[in-house]
Amino acid sequence: MLKPTGAALPPRRDPPPVPVPGMDVTLDRRGVIWGLIVAALVTLSIYLGSQRFHGFDGALAGYAFATVFAIFGIVYRYVVWLQRPPTRTYWRRGWELFWQPGQRIRNTGLFFKMGWEKLIEQRFIRKRSRGRWLAHQLIFWGCLIAIAITFPLTFGWLRFESDFTNPSDYLIVLFGQRLEFFTFPARSLLGWLIMHGLNVAAVLCLAGIALILGRRIKDQAEIATQRFDNDIMPLILLFAVSVTGMFLTVSNMFIEGKFYYFLTTIHAVTVYLWLLYLPFGKFFHIFQRIANLGVWFYKAAGANGPQAACARCGTEYTSELQRGDLKAMLPELGFDYRHSQVDNWQNLCPGCRRKLMTLNQFAVTGKEFM
Amino acid sequence: MSDLRFFVDPIRCIGCKACMQACSECATHKGKSMIHLEHIERGSSTQTAPMVCMHCDLPTCAAVCPADAIKRTEDGIVQSSQAPRCIGCSNCVNACPFGVPRYYPEIDQMLKCDMCYDRTSIGQKPMCASVCPSEALFYGTLEEFQARRKGTPTNTFQFGAQTITTKVFIVLPEGEIGLDMDVISHMDARFEPDAFDHLDPFAHLEPLPQAQPGLTGGRL
Repeated sequence: MLKPTGAALPPRRDPPPVPVPGMDVTLDRRGVIWGLIVAALVTLSIYLGSQRFHGFDGALAGYAFATVFAIFGIVYRYVVWLQRPPTRTYWRRGWELFWQPGQRIRNTGLFFKMGWEKLIEQRFIRKRSRGRWLAHQLIFWGCLIAIAITFPLTFGWLRFESDFTNPSDYLIVLFGQRLEFFTFPARSLLGWLIMHGLNVAAVLCLAGIALILGRRIKDQAEIATQRFDNDIMPLILLFAVSVTGMFLTVSNMFIEGKFYYFLTTIHAVTVYLWLLYLPFGKFFHIFQRIANLGVWFYKAAGANGPQAACARCGTEYTSELQRGDLKAMLPELGFDYRHSQVDNWQNLCPGCRRKLMTLNQFAVTGKEFM
Repeated sequence: MSDLRFFVDPIRCIGCKACMQACSECATHKGKSMIHLEHIERGSSTQTAPMVCMHCDLPTCAAVCPADAIKRTEDGIVQSSQAPRCIGCSNCVNACPFGVPRYYPEIDQMLKCDMCYDRTSIGQKPMCASVCPSEALFYGTLEEFQARRKGTPTNTFQFGAQTITTKVFIVLPEGEIGLDMDVISHMDARFEPDAFDHLDPFAHLEPLPQAQPGLTGGRL
């Protein structure tokens, strides 16, 4: 009988664990809570706004459900986003500055003025390029019109009814209230525009998509940096929603309603996909851009306050407010720029930082310069 | 053949500004020059300091961005800010240890060197390195670099307590493993402070006969 003769080999060691980058699937608790709260409030507003589902159109229930889910997703991502140290800093500072006593009325006025310039008129895009601005405006207004019509419609807040006294006239029913003062003939230009509002929105979007697609195919810079999921996917989704939506009108008006149920189904599917993409894809920038206004207040306050001078050359290069906030947030992000000579590397202006790389290279090599 | 790499050697910079002109012609830069060219101390020295983005492995600019607008792609390039996201706060401008990002107020956006991504992503040289006559900016393989000159390429920088490693290399003397970033004035970086009179190199000459009407008969 063979017996083991001691340990010929050292005991086998497990190899060190290989760090495998895994997808973090844990949900952020605060994000889920806020998402659920807002989704519940929207659901409640659907219930009340449709007079306890009296005005709710069952055929559109899928859209309403997908919208509530998208709103949950948007709030979730927004809350997660706000927890990042720089975002949190700007969020807090922005509100602090906005709600300064004595400045609130002025700030509210400025809020609307800057909101118009930055969010509606989008002047900064026009400064980049007029073609880009036109494409963006077309898609922006297309989406805005579509959302303004479809969200209230699917929530049961809005519907159209014919006037009792004059059946060829229509009127709007908003939150169960018949807006008697505003009736419009169904067969008129106004009636056509209202009834075809979503087609108008689709045409605007398609024109914008065409312009953007042209740039994405031709522009070398876009070709080099674009990503399918971030840059092409939103165009495909918008295109699908617009085209399938217009198919419904085509079926209704020109081919006697043929394929209508099939078309409603594929339109619904494309819209669900768009709504699912909304919180997690490129369209999230719609909600992020609002922070642009907070930053504007932050910069204005910084420019009026004390300025930070460079520790090397003495030039004032930014606000004391921003430099202080930056130095406070960097350790939270895992950076330690403490420096024995100037207390913190962040006390130098960008110009001196650029020069110092060359100067230190000279110092190390011992070479001379004129 | 090894990977193509970017080597900067600012000592060799002659301040011709060809890099700046070439940079603005890159497709991703849209007519704007992303490279910086600093005069070390204008008025007392001709030395210039070129600065491209060093493309940090852990970019400070991206970490301090409140809008997640700065992304580092898998190939190690820290991209310029994403237009839809950048909210123009200038946090990156102030935080970058090398002082690279620049804020453009008219478009309310930060733009920075992306190593000519339209070119380097398909194996071409960045514009600046393709025109630099003194090879202060050099793009090529390590073998190509070593065949041409001495020096150790390194990509480790020490900013006080913070170590930063980068995709772009700086050329240091043999044996150096990293660059300590000290705060020094331009005089300290020169060889001997008293080697000659920095303030007036012509102090040993007789004053020029200026504005003496008698010498030229009143006419110049």
